[in-house]
Amino acid sequence: MYEKHLMICGATGCLSSGSNLVEEALVEELEKHGMRDKYRIIMGGCPGFCEVGPIIVIYPDEVFYCRLKPKDMPELVEKHLMEGEIVERFLYKGPDVDVPARFYDTIPFYAKQKFNVLRNSGLIDPENIDEYIMRGGYRAFARALAMEPIAICDEVKEAGLRGRGGAGFSTGLKWEFTNKAPGLKKYVVCNADEGDPGAFMDRSILEGDPHAILEGMLICGRAIGADEGYIYCRAEYPLAISRLKIAIRQAEEYGLLGDNILGYGFNFKLNIKEGAGAFVCGEETALLASIEGKRGMPRPRPPFPAQSGLFGKPTTINNVETFANVPLILKEGGALDFASVGTEGSKGTKVFALAGKVRNTGLCEVPMGITIREIIYDVGGGIKRGKDFKAVQAGGPSGGCIPAEQIDLPIDYDSLNKAGAIMGSGGLVVMDEGTCMVDLARYFLSFTQKESCGKCTPCREGTKRMLEILDRISEGTGIPEDLDTLDSLAASIKDSSLCGLGQTCPNPVLSTIRYFREEYEEHINDKFCRAGICKELFTYWIDQEKCTGCTACARVCPVNAIKGEKKEAHDIEQDLCTRCGSCVEKCPQDCILVVPQGREADVTN
Amino acid sequence: MQKFIDHCCEKCTHTRENPCKDFIHCCIDGPICHENPSCSLKRQDIIKKVALNDRFVIC
Repeated sequence: MYEKHLMICGATGCLSSGSNLVEEALVEELEKHGMRDKYRIIMGGCPGFCEVGPIIVIYPDEVFYCRLKPKDMPELVEKHLMEGEIVERFLYKGPDVDVPARFYDTIPFYAKQKFNVLRNSGLIDPENIDEYIMRGGYRAFARALAMEPIAICDEVKEAGLRGRGGAGFSTGLKWEFTNKAPGLKKYVVCNADEGDPGAFMDRSILEGDPHAILEGMLICGRAIGADEGYIYCRAEYPLAISRLKIAIRQAEEYGLLGDNILGYGFNFKLNIKEGAGAFVCGEETALLASIEGKRGMPRPRPPFPAQSGLFGKPTTINNVETFANVPLILKEGGALDFASVGTEGSKGTKVFALAGKVRNTGLCEVPMGITIREIIYDVGGGIKRGKDFKAVQAGGPSGGCIPAEQIDLPIDYDSLNKAGAIMGSGGLVVMDEGTCMVDLARYFLSFTQKESCGKCTPCREGTKRMLEILDRISEGTGIPEDLDTLDSLAASIKDSSLCGLGQTCPNPVLSTIRYFREEYEEHINDKFCRAGICKELFTYWIDQEKCTGCTACARVCPVNAIKGEKKEAHDIEQDLCTRCGSCVEKCPQDCILVVPQGREADVTN
Repeated sequence: MQKFIDHCCEKCTHTRENPCKDFIHCCIDGPICHENPSCSLKRQDIIKKVALNDRFVIC
């Protein structure tokens, strides 16, 4: 038996901040003391708090250490493991706690979270099926095997689960359509082609709890009468794919995949298809085409995949998070428990990838209906550097922008739709006063424009024309008619594009025009970008009254455009300045002003 | 018995080819098809080795 378990976050976020090096240093230190065998070290799933990685959680002591470095390991081993003393300097500290926080229950980031989908992430070894079974895994599947398939669909409907991949369609209803579709051969497909910039919810689930996806797919297979499934996962997720392969091999060994599973006469085979990373392959019909070996392009619906999907057979497609919810619903009493969380129209929890100008970035799983304010200020810890919250982009490039005035909007499918955004897969990009909304719209549209598959004219040509207009506005050559043209183009693209990606890609433009029209008008009429982002539309000036001559700006300026003596106000040579913004980031006094081109500093505030 | 798929004794017959309907419940609560404290202990040993705390196992 082990004295302690050291769960190191081995998900991609912490790996990129060096958790593998921390693990190596830890192992080396334990070996140095001849203690390696006393401790179990697991590179496990993601605890969500990427901002403070690398993270090690020690059990049974229940101590959460964060922001660790390899050089910290000797101290951690000596003090905590050998002397039994908690190392306070590795505990979570921040403006939201009075004293260093020891464990999840005292860290504010976790206070409003509810772990359904992420229930095992960071607690189990994702490469050990036994641990998944210990956490109640495969019990729901065993129960489903003894049920009538249509009764499974009914339970999922009663629970109120809606697809977590974007559109939010009723999962149980989708399953029922496939169940009732004629045909002996049917398929289950898991959409793990997570492509929204900044979104990594699905990757985290796949890496931290792969058996949950397998169990969800097995239950779906039983419900719709399928004997084969595909997981379509992008090749950029090598760790997720590796863990899925291990999970499939283990499930086969245990008789949970294959023929006559658990003696119920149910057969199910699971395949992994690696995607090449095209954003459009997240659209279900393009994804099916890609699995079939064709070019990943959408096709018109109907027929819907439930009638004619993979290889022309009835097919149910759900995304990773949707499948991860299913075992919770199918366990004894699970449907009622699931439905007890959330709002009338949006049940359960939702995992969000919190990014942007918020203090606590990472993954969070919160009950549906939580407000934007709670996510940003309670979970996210507020805006970085004490700046003002301006807006949040919900739902990735297909989503929309919600302004600060709607900070108390509950996050659920219907409220987000009404506000002009969508739930999408769960990306939340938080913006402060330094974000230019025209530039934001241009960024997301440039993404969808580049990723447009080109099959239908409205998306292929329409997004290009819209992007040209946004480029013009950002460069100071926009004309007042541009806003009407953008509106009209957006309406046409939404109405006539072939697939969901085309139909939703104007959303960032429409929502920013809806809520931040004055910023567009300022760019067009005054040739001014108040956020200081569109380089053609502003200059930087140093506030001579506030500048203390600390030289921080001058030292960081890459083109030596800032002149001035120490302890005397500095000045910017406008001819040299490239408006890179380095000085703004560095100035401790906030004395760099954003000023319209051709005007002096004293005209702005 | 190192893993749940290993047989606790000759009375357990679960394999891919000869599946047992109770296998999943048996992993934690077993043995179900026979009574043997030693077989039960073997399962508990697997659990004890990796359980993080006394709330880890969910039945």
